[in-house]
Amino acid sequence: MHRPGQAVHKANAWFLACFFVFFIRSMAATIAEFFLESAMRKGLFLITGLLALGGCSLDDGLQPTRSGFSGTIRFKNAWPAQTDQVLVVAATRFPPSAIADIVMSDPLPLHQDSVDYTLFTTPQLFAAVGVVWKEKNQPWDVTNLIGLYFDSDNLFNPGKVHVRNRDEMVENIDIEADLSKAKRKVTSGIEGMLRTRGEWPPASQSLLMVASKPILPFGLLDISLGQPIEAPFDSSRFFLNLQPGTYRLVGALLIEKGADIGLSSVVGLYYKKAGDLFPGAITIASDTTIIRGVEIHIDFNKRPFAG
Amino acid sequence: MKQLYPLLLLFATFVFSQTEGRLSGQAVDAKTGEPLPGVNILLVDTAIGQATDLSGRFELSGIPAGVYTLRASMVGYRSLQIRSIHIPAKPGARFTLALEPILIQEADVVVTAAKRRQSIQDSPNSVGVLTSRDLVQKNEIYLDKMLENASGVNFIGSQINIRGSSGYNYGAGTRVLMLIDGVPVLPGDSGDLKWDLVPATQVERVEIIKGAGSALYGSSALGGVVNIITKSATDRPLTHLRFSAGLYDKPSFPEWRWTDRLLHFDDMDVDHSRRIGKSQILLAAGRHQSTGYSQNGSYQRMNGSFKWFRPVSTHANLTLAANWEAGKRGTGLMWRSQRRALEVSPEAVGDHTHSDKLSVNAFHQWAARSTLAVKTRLSYFRNYWKNIFHDNITASTAQKFGLEIQGDYQRSAVHVLTFGTEETWDQVQSGLVGNHDQYGLSAYVQDERRLLRTLSLTLGGRYDYQHIDTGFRDEKFSPKAGLVWQAHSSISARFSSGKGFRAASMSERFSDSIYSGLRLAPNPELRSETAWSHEIGANIRLGTLMNLDIAGFSSDYWNLIEPVPDEAQNIQFINVTRARISGLETMAKFNPGIRGLTCDVSYTLMNPRDLSLNETLAYRPRRLLQTGLAYQFGPVELSVDYRYISRLDQVKLYPMDDRVAQKTVDLHIGFQWQAWHLSGHVYNLFNHNHTQMERTLMPIRHFVLTLRAAV
Repeated sequence: MHRPGQAVHKANAWFLACFFVFFIRSMAATIAEFFLESAMRKGLFLITGLLALGGCSLDDGLQPTRSGFSGTIRFKNAWPAQTDQVLVVAATRFPPSAIADIVMSDPLPLHQDSVDYTLFTTPQLFAAVGVVWKEKNQPWDVTNLIGLYFDSDNLFNPGKVHVRNRDEMVENIDIEADLSKAKRKVTSGIEGMLRTRGEWPPASQSLLMVASKPILPFGLLDISLGQPIEAPFDSSRFFLNLQPGTYRLVGALLIEKGADIGLSSVVGLYYKKAGDLFPGAITIASDTTIIRGVEIHIDFNKRPFAG
Repeated sequence: MKQLYPLLLLFATFVFSQTEGRLSGQAVDAKTGEPLPGVNILLVDTAIGQATDLSGRFELSGIPAGVYTLRASMVGYRSLQIRSIHIPAKPGARFTLALEPILIQEADVVVTAAKRRQSIQDSPNSVGVLTSRDLVQKNEIYLDKMLENASGVNFIGSQINIRGSSGYNYGAGTRVLMLIDGVPVLPGDSGDLKWDLVPATQVERVEIIKGAGSALYGSSALGGVVNIITKSATDRPLTHLRFSAGLYDKPSFPEWRWTDRLLHFDDMDVDHSRRIGKSQILLAAGRHQSTGYSQNGSYQRMNGSFKWFRPVSTHANLTLAANWEAGKRGTGLMWRSQRRALEVSPEAVGDHTHSDKLSVNAFHQWAARSTLAVKTRLSYFRNYWKNIFHDNITASTAQKFGLEIQGDYQRSAVHVLTFGTEETWDQVQSGLVGNHDQYGLSAYVQDERRLLRTLSLTLGGRYDYQHIDTGFRDEKFSPKAGLVWQAHSSISARFSSGKGFRAASMSERFSDSIYSGLRLAPNPELRSETAWSHEIGANIRLGTLMNLDIAGFSSDYWNLIEPVPDEAQNIQFINVTRARISGLETMAKFNPGIRGLTCDVSYTLMNPRDLSLNETLAYRPRRLLQTGLAYQFGPVELSVDYRYISRLDQVKLYPMDDRVAQKTVDLHIGFQWQAWHLSGHVYNLFNHNHTQMERTLMPIRHFVLTLRAAV
């Protein structure tokens, strides 16, 4: 027999079940929404934290340089009165064509016979290490060399210095500096035109105007160097700044990648007239003399000192 | 979230003055009741508006009879809009306007990127805003340090880069224009930015407008514009005091210790503001000095500011402002060596520079009609410096005179026309660049109209003519276009394209000098460098959860001026580079669900290419990341900022030197008690050693204690 109380209980049970399901669903939805929003916020917060922490893998950053090279400079001849500074310069390219190619030491003590130096630098292969003289009230001129480091008897080929790692200090990079080679600021020099013939050698980098007082220079320091003229070109104007004196050898020197510099690098000479046997001499009379119209013909197939 | 912000309600009180057509009131913080300076007050669909003064007060005059809607907005506060304001108002009616602080910024902040007040949402360009609250929290006295934390911004020395725009050109000229209250402040000789002219204590807010902006601002706005808006004078007497002192820590490595002295610095700033009769005046003075953290890094500076505001009729007002700075600072071109990174070459020890700068501006604003405002600016800027270096002594005086007349014409509720003309005269007497005069004349127009309910279009252009006494002439036309689409109440999209240019500075053209053995050679025929920049971006606001801004940008540069060593090792500025910088920028500010806690993240990814050399453009990082975490509980606030700038792939002068990324963490803690605010700061917490420009180590870890008071 169906009693009314059972129906009420059944209805209550259904009602409670429905309410419970509704309650659970509502709670679940609320909790899900809460966690969804919360998770989103926390996720964003976490991303920021991770970004900061990731970037925060903090190190010291830059550190003092502890590698480099050292040696002794021995000076000969008298110190010029106009000396402002003397320092050691290392160049990754020789001759250097930009300030980016060089590293400079602190200024060396002046008026000494000999000075020990240390140049701290990051690991590099330096094509040349030299001593540069600076005149008072004048800018730096890295071609104003009074000494070069050589590791062989070939005085045309500067010695290379290789600092291999951050802990290496290369020693005994000794240099003899001749103060008589210091070049004062003068406006004198020669100016003219370079003309080339034949194929440029494939490794050509640049061409330098050079001048030497002896007809056969003994080494690079006997030569006054001009500024590099980038290769290749058919013709180019030049100006070579020179101290007063008579220059018996005026010519052009080819800088080739990976090749040593020597007399064989001379690719063209100045002759007073075509067919002359000996190079023409040029005399610079004073600090303001400029000799114009100097023509130099370069034939890459006929180097003056080949072999 | 509702329970997190129980004080979100606004109550507004306005004072409708008895004078017909005037509207005045005061803005306060709804939470603390403190007056709010710098709130932007704007009558919607008119050219009438102003910012509240230091006591939170404002007064709009010359308003024709009618019914208006007033909008009040400020960064860090929910904007307030009051509708149906009847002009003329009831005599004696009195209301107070309270703005509710919010953690996540709404988009409705008013900026002056378009030479007139407009909602940041209506600007087709990306605009970054730093408020006086940011300035207090970061506690920097110089604005360049402050701007280092802005999104998309990095510095190389004192040279600001917006999205990599400037690179580094040795302090000669700038590719970002700096304005003080809308007036260009670039000295005629060096053409560089003078960050020390206005201390941060006198700044209400800084707007950083990204992308080429020459269509409105002329020369130098190649990569963007930094507009510094100074504080206004107050109605009631108010004095601010700020004392700050700090210490530099020891360097990380014994090789870098160059002195046994205690290296320290201190700042003292005071300003007072009040009403005198109908006028409001503000006077400020400061003294800042430091031993520096490196040799030749010391400085002593004094500065003063004056601002005077007076309504000259019901339709017009006049503002006179002056800023002065003088000082002496040590000068070091670069370090002695990486071995001795905090020392300069022995011969350069003691090299220093004296400087003296003065800017005076007069600004007249006239509401000719309810729809037409005419603004006239007269400006004068004098920059004097004297270098006392071991190998030369040089002095220079540059004077700049300027006149600008601008009209803002509100043709209808959906159409605004901005137009004007600007004239400048630079006069330079310099041991570095010689004696020269330079004239500039320009005219500009900008048309902003709403094409559809949700779509706005901006078109504009500016013509600039320049003449130098050497006979050099140049002219440039710089157009711009922009679109803003309000896709949804919480999503807006923008597009902009504009041209920029920079005329070579006199120091780039005429410098003839030797410093530390390097010779600078002149190049009088330098042409202007130009740029086209394009941007597409979107701003998404997810309620109080997050404000996200994403932008893609690309800038093309022609004839970039770079210093290049010639065959004789003379350094000369020449037009060399064709370049392109493209990238992505994202900014997000969000609330992680913890009351009082906010996070900021901005990330900029760039691809800077030197198209002439097919390599990475020098002095531009590829990645910038700025993150900030701030927590406020009661009167205590705590914040941490982290800044990452990736290693420079390419530099010009010393490519063989070590280069590293910049990673800087700054920590700040502050405590507010009534009118007093005490804060402690640690800058470069982890003592990360890096350079920005070559061979100059950036500041090592330092500690600062600051006390502020408003009485």
